Amino acid sequence: MTPNLIQFLELSVAGFLTLCIFSFLYKDNPFYRLAEHIYAGLSAGYYAGLIWHSVIVQQLWIPITDEGKFVLIIPGILGLLMFTRFSKNLTYLSRVSIAFVMGNTAGITLMQQLHGYVLPQTRDTIAGLLGGDGTAAMIGAWVIFVGVVSTLIYFYFSKEHKGVLGVTARIGIVFIMISFGAHFGYTVMGRVSLLIGRFQFLMRDWLHLIN
Amino acid sequence: MVQRLTQLLSRIDRRIVFLVVSLSVIIPLIIELPLPIPIAPESRKLFERVEEIPDGSRVILTFDYYPSTLAETEPMSVAALRHLWRKDMKIVTLSTVGTGGPNIADRVMATLAEEFDKEYGIDYVNLGYKANYQAVLLGLGKSIRSIYPTDFYGTPLDSIPLMRDIDDYGAFEFIYIVSDNGIVDYWIGLVNAQYGIEMGAGVTAVMAPKFYAYVRAQQLIGLLGGMKGAAEYEELIGHKALATSGMGAQSMVHIAIIVFIILGNVSFFLGRRKS
Amino acid sequence: MIIAFFSGEENVSAFSQEQLVWVTIVAGFALLLGVVSITRVSVNSVRQKKKDWPYKIVLLVFLAASTIGAVFEGTERGTVYDWLFQNMNAPMMSTMFSMLAFFIASAAYRAFRARTIEATILLITATIVMLGRVPMGQVIYSHLPGITDWIMNYPNLSVQRGIIIGAALGAASMSLRIVLGIERTYLGRS
Repeated sequence: MTPNLIQFLELSVAGFLTLCIFSFLYKDNPFYRLAEHIYAGLSAGYYAGLIWHSVIVQQLWIPITDEGKFVLIIPGILGLLMFTRFSKNLTYLSRVSIAFVMGNTAGITLMQQLHGYVLPQTRDTIAGLLGGDGTAAMIGAWVIFVGVVSTLIYFYFSKEHKGVLGVTARIGIVFIMISFGAHFGYTVMGRVSLLIGRFQFLMRDWLHLIN
Repeated sequence: MVQRLTQLLSRIDRRIVFLVVSLSVIIPLIIELPLPIPIAPESRKLFERVEEIPDGSRVILTFDYYPSTLAETEPMSVAALRHLWRKDMKIVTLSTVGTGGPNIADRVMATLAEEFDKEYGIDYVNLGYKANYQAVLLGLGKSIRSIYPTDFYGTPLDSIPLMRDIDDYGAFEFIYIVSDNGIVDYWIGLVNAQYGIEMGAGVTAVMAPKFYAYVRAQQLIGLLGGMKGAAEYEELIGHKALATSGMGAQSMVHIAIIVFIILGNVSFFLGRRKS
Repeated sequence: MIIAFFSGEENVSAFSQEQLVWVTIVAGFALLLGVVSITRVSVNSVRQKKKDWPYKIVLLVFLAASTIGAVFEGTERGTVYDWLFQNMNAPMMSTMFSMLAFFIASAAYRAFRARTIEATILLITATIVMLGRVPMGQVIYSHLPGITDWIMNYPNLSVQRGIIIGAALGAASMSLRIVLGIERTYLGRS
């Protein structure tokens, strides 16, 4: 078999499966079901293979056997304890592993949210309100400030939206609708791009109908 | 007459909609409309910042995306890689996405390495994937080797020439993120905030609206949004490719969808006027 | 992690770094839970000859092929694992998500109505952005890209920033609750 023929066969496999998935647009059918189950099996198998190599071999086996890092046996055991979730009698042991991961994650997240998001974003909202970069920049900074404050007030549900709070929330809705409209426009753009990508594959790479 | 028009406009079969969308993609791909590509300011900022980085510097290029968004993200990765390798940058790539990231990186880097005559281990390294991206991103700041004892292929990092004197973010000039999920927030909140390293991002169009706030706060230097962003970057580096060729189809489908929205609203208002 | 953020002490830093390594290892095992789960469910379906059980055999065959390929051959280019990913998994995943374009077009036609002032603002903005962000938009009206840039960099930016700040405060308070032991739902208790 020539390399070109092998490549064409590989592309044909991908093309056939693409058309099987697209057939769902007409209605559910055995070809779609087949492709769906192949996909589910491959996705699960992909993770199994990936974790075998990237975690079990590279992060546990090699460091323990070649470098003598026996302390890594502890996270290995914690990892194995995760599988006790499948046993009714031993499922409580998996909580040790979950708590370990959640505790670390919570600690990281706390500082990340405050230091990484709240402070820099608040700082930038306030900077520029008093000018310094020209009138146009100052007006823009005030537009952003009003938008940020009114958005936060709109999502504040602990007090009824009446009076000043109500008016600010109404301004917030206008900003939010503009933002959601922009978001919708970008979402359409994103989904359409994915479709264009598949048609480019079918028409260019597989069937050579376009350059 | 009005009633018939209202009924006609409100009952277009969805398969007709699917057919119109399909034709709006297929016809421009065959005919190829020559359209200008206006460059968004945030795309230009990203390009210009990368241009300023001294040639031969070390950069992290991430492949933080799933195969589902290849149409948007792979053109960005390719354009970014062309730009970086045109400047002879040394690239360390990693992926925080399990499904496909490392293998996509493997394929894309190897394909372009042939074109640019780049050698693995000297000009670029693929670190692969490790689980729990928060721990990975934070851990890389102190010691890359503790998180990645080996590269994607199982080679110890000490054996790789490029990695010999690299062990944390301090060795890198820039981080170029290409992503289709919320990992960009973590790069910004953990890496940029704690280590101060500059970064730019190419993201899918669905995510792009969120990141304007980070660009303004200079937590991101620049931003590419979707296939259009990739087309803009291809325009800026002077190498038009897949993303640019999709812009005609993108335009036609958008117009088709706007027409359908108008038709739907016309029938709605006509129906409301009648009642 | 919180102490390590503030402390420059070497021992604290080394300890937190080791914790991060352990987290990546334990989290890796957690990802295998899904694999074990789908295998158990599929084997059960086949054993009990439930609906679509032949398809479950296909699922198990491809799961095994991918896993065995990875374990014995590796995961890089040129392996069975990589071939299955590049030529089967990736195209199918791309196609599944690409179908959303059809559904979003159909949904926009059926449901996107200017019933209220707010909906009209949303509709008009969406139209401006959809045209402004494609090359055809500049051909239709040369200032459309500029208007779109303004929308993205001012009203959109301010709302997204408000959401970022609000969500970050919420996430920070949830993290504090977990650290203090007030929040324990992740352990499965009420």
